[in-house]
Amino acid sequence: MSLLRKNNPQTLTWQRRAMRVLTFPISVLAIYGILYVIKPDKVSIALKGAGNIFITIMVPLSLVFVLMLALNLFLKPAQIVKFLGRGAGIKGVILSATAGIISSGPIYAWYPLLKDLREKGAGVSFMAIFLGNRAIKPPLLPIMISYFGWVYVLILTIFTILASIFAGYAVGALAKESNSGDGYKVQQKDI
Amino acid sequence: MKIAVSSDSANLEAKVAHKFGNSKYLVIVDLESGDSEAVPNPGASAQRGAGMQAVVLAVSKDVEAVLTGYCSPAARSHLTVNGIEVISDLSGTIGEVVGRYKKGDFRKYKGVELEHRPRWSKIDKAILSYAIRSSAKQFANLLPILVGVVLLMGLFNAFVPRHILVSIFSGNPALDILWGACSGSIIAGNPINSYVIGRELLTSGVSLFAVTAFMVAWVTVGLVQLPAEIAALGKRFALVRNAVSFVLSLGVATLTVLVFNFFMG
Repeated sequence: MSLLRKNNPQTLTWQRRAMRVLTFPISVLAIYGILYVIKPDKVSIALKGAGNIFITIMVPLSLVFVLMLALNLFLKPAQIVKFLGRGAGIKGVILSATAGIISSGPIYAWYPLLKDLREKGAGVSFMAIFLGNRAIKPPLLPIMISYFGWVYVLILTIFTILASIFAGYAVGALAKESNSGDGYKVQQKDI
Repeated sequence: MKIAVSSDSANLEAKVAHKFGNSKYLVIVDLESGDSEAVPNPGASAQRGAGMQAVVLAVSKDVEAVLTGYCSPAARSHLTVNGIEVISDLSGTIGEVVGRYKKGDFRKYKGVELEHRPRWSKIDKAILSYAIRSSAKQFANLLPILVGVVLLMGLFNAFVPRHILVSIFSGNPALDILWGACSGSIIAGNPINSYVIGRELLTSGVSLFAVTAFMVAWVTVGLVQLPAEIAALGKRFALVRNAVSFVLSLGVATLTVLVFNFFMG
């Protein structure tokens, strides 16, 4: 039984993921341990400071979970990607920006889907607008507002959206015709 | 009406692939015209998210049914919520199962799982539990790093003297923005960490210009993810997008703080 579990690739993947996620906090705790031997008083101050940050972050963080849940419940990546490739002009810009804002999860999870869309002919500008608007994270807004205030967050959000649209057009103009060397071909075979 | 059949080969004599997510092709068959095409499944070689990529392919091809050997519960839930009928536990050649589907065999056959829900149906238990699991997983991935960052910030505040920070961030807005954007471009990770670091830098006396540039560059420029972006979207696209985003992070930081200061006096 234990041998089976040891050789189970799913268990290994889970362990690898846990290791990757936990390495950083464990390393920081190790630094705490080392520094405690040298400067115990300063480490106590550091711990107290970290505790204060946790207290500030607690309420907005629970709101983050609720917003994540709402996004996962009502939005499906398949739908987001489906409408990202559609439309032209202003409609395309709005759809791509909206898709970027509501998309969640790490960016590397989105690369294969974007690659697939590019192979199907979605515009370079829309890809760039999508990636730029991923800077806006609705579920994380409670934390940002609690730290910097809603006026600052509102101004920053507006400028980030405008900049990402501008970036989309700039990337579209600069990178448009030059991707032939990167090897994107539609690989469809009729049978 | 179009249907998709998972397959490991691009011809109608090929067997139905055992797994929907990892099959090499989705063979799209138009039942009215009889036309068919084999579309390579982008998820075939993926280690993560293979099922989702096959779902995206099926949705983008506007198919109304998926015929396969096995379909994971998550992929099934995404397909059915998009109005796609899922028929699993099938074997035989593509030609055979398509013929049986046309004849309506699967509606009588006991061994086949048949599930169909209309588009935008109300939230059911399976979707809710999937959403809770996804959110918990996202949160569990986010939390340990956040804990590490907060602990690191505690150390930073206690051990790094203020004059060192002041010597790096001189108070000159142009230089501060540049430094902020450079550090934000190098470091990557969940944006929540950039907010925590940004806030601590701010309370340590670093200007809002630098902190804003740091937070904007953190999410728009990704030197760490550059190889992955190049591999997926092309070298020129990735380099141009990151360079443009870096320059724009300087502009966004400048304008945001100027407008903020104007409103807040």
